[in-house]
Amino acid sequence: MRETYGVLLPEMKLDNLPGKLIVIEGTDGVGRSTQIGLLKPWLEQGGHAVVDTGMSRSKLVSRGIKQAKQGHTLGAVTLNLFYATDFADRLENEIIPALRAGFVVLTDRYIYSLMARAVVRGIDPSWIQNVYKFALIPDAVFYLRIGVDDLIPRVVFSTGFDYWESGMDLHPSEDMYESFRKYQTALLAQFDTLAGEYNFEVIDASREISAVFEDLREGITRVLADKEQPLPEPLRDQAAMEGQELQESPAAGNNGAGT
Amino acid sequence: MKRYGEHRFPGKLFVVEGLDGSGKSTQLSLLHQWLRAEGYGTVFSEWNSSPLVRDTTRRGKKKKMLTPATFCLIHSTDFADRMEHNIIPLLKAGAVVLCDRYIYTAFARDVVRGMDPEWVRELYAFAVKPTAAFYFRVPLDVAMNRLINGRNGFKFYEAGMDLDLSADPAESFEIFQGHILEEYEKMIPEFDLTVVDATRPIEEQQTQMRQLVKAKLAQAKRLRVAP
Repeated sequence: MRETYGVLLPEMKLDNLPGKLIVIEGTDGVGRSTQIGLLKPWLEQGGHAVVDTGMSRSKLVSRGIKQAKQGHTLGAVTLNLFYATDFADRLENEIIPALRAGFVVLTDRYIYSLMARAVVRGIDPSWIQNVYKFALIPDAVFYLRIGVDDLIPRVVFSTGFDYWESGMDLHPSEDMYESFRKYQTALLAQFDTLAGEYNFEVIDASREISAVFEDLREGITRVLADKEQPLPEPLRDQAAMEGQELQESPAAGNNGAGT
Repeated sequence: MKRYGEHRFPGKLFVVEGLDGSGKSTQLSLLHQWLRAEGYGTVFSEWNSSPLVRDTTRRGKKKKMLTPATFCLIHSTDFADRMEHNIIPLLKAGAVVLCDRYIYTAFARDVVRGMDPEWVRELYAFAVKPTAAFYFRVPLDVAMNRLINGRNGFKFYEAGMDLDLSADPAESFEIFQGHILEEYEKMIPEFDLTVVDATRPIEEQQTQMRQLVKAKLAQAKRLRVAP
């Protein structure tokens, strides 16, 4: 039976949720959406129905949040509660129904990013953790970890520095580079704290896309192996094979395709 | 972020709570008149939340998209906006701030909707602890009688129609208000609410309010401004 982090919402039924809730976490620009773009077709080829979802995409709140960020007008507590409303709406109307229907729910960030960003902005950690106590505990959280020195070139040569991802609301007098470095360093420290507290599976995301993808596939295969429903044939074989490999040669490391 | 009770501002915060029809708004506006005449810089905290939070709330209500959880959270967002942009700056500036309804309304309403009581209280931990909170206690039938003439139908969430208490809005409203009343009663000792017997004459209730407010303002003479 599934659990939340301590609080049940009215009419939240946790039995009979056979799907899997898989979270991809990591800071801005680390490559989460790239990996999700690869994982989704891979899972579907394996016969799994996949719902991918992300922050501030709820029907109720997403428009308001977008406007709020453009105007930079909301206070820190207000903005965080706005995000929490968005999360609750997606949890109730999207994530739980999909899990009930047996989907693999692949989510681009979850409550952890929201908590890390809040704490960096001066929000009381115990307060924000309480806010998200109604969240479902995921089947796995894969944390794409990267150091700030590896992160900076990626961001510069892709999207450039973004106002919020650089924490410019916190360091308005700094230039974008200095602010980004400070903000992301603080954010990564928060993620590291959360990683221990919430049992993240840490994946070194400073490597090539294919190497990260391989680790994710391996982790997700393991999660799906104990799915209550019978697995589709191709994946069950794959899962069984990888299980065997691990048992037979625990010290051999990665000897699969691609090396 | 400071938590409930940790704030130390020069201003003072007085709030009124109670059922619709308890007469709390009437009492608050009488208090407002008096404080102004006494020379205090007094401000009614209006529920002027920023347009985007307000629009989201309005849309959610209109389309009946809100569950107890999102109803609770969007209202806490709205309240936080009011706290950060209105109440706290006013208290920092040394004003006497008056609020018609405060966090206790949210606690009553959200708990009746099935939200976890402790979780909701912690959710609002960012709110400033009021200098005094007046609870206008009135029996349900008295409040309902006072409303009957003035009311022209009930809104969906206001009547608690989302809780399936009754198909008839007026009946649903009454049942819902009955549950709210029970929650208020529990909060009196918990939050040290000052109970005002709202069945007494208006003048007597006002006298009781003014006495307490006067005592609380006694150490705050500097809040006076030239009339």
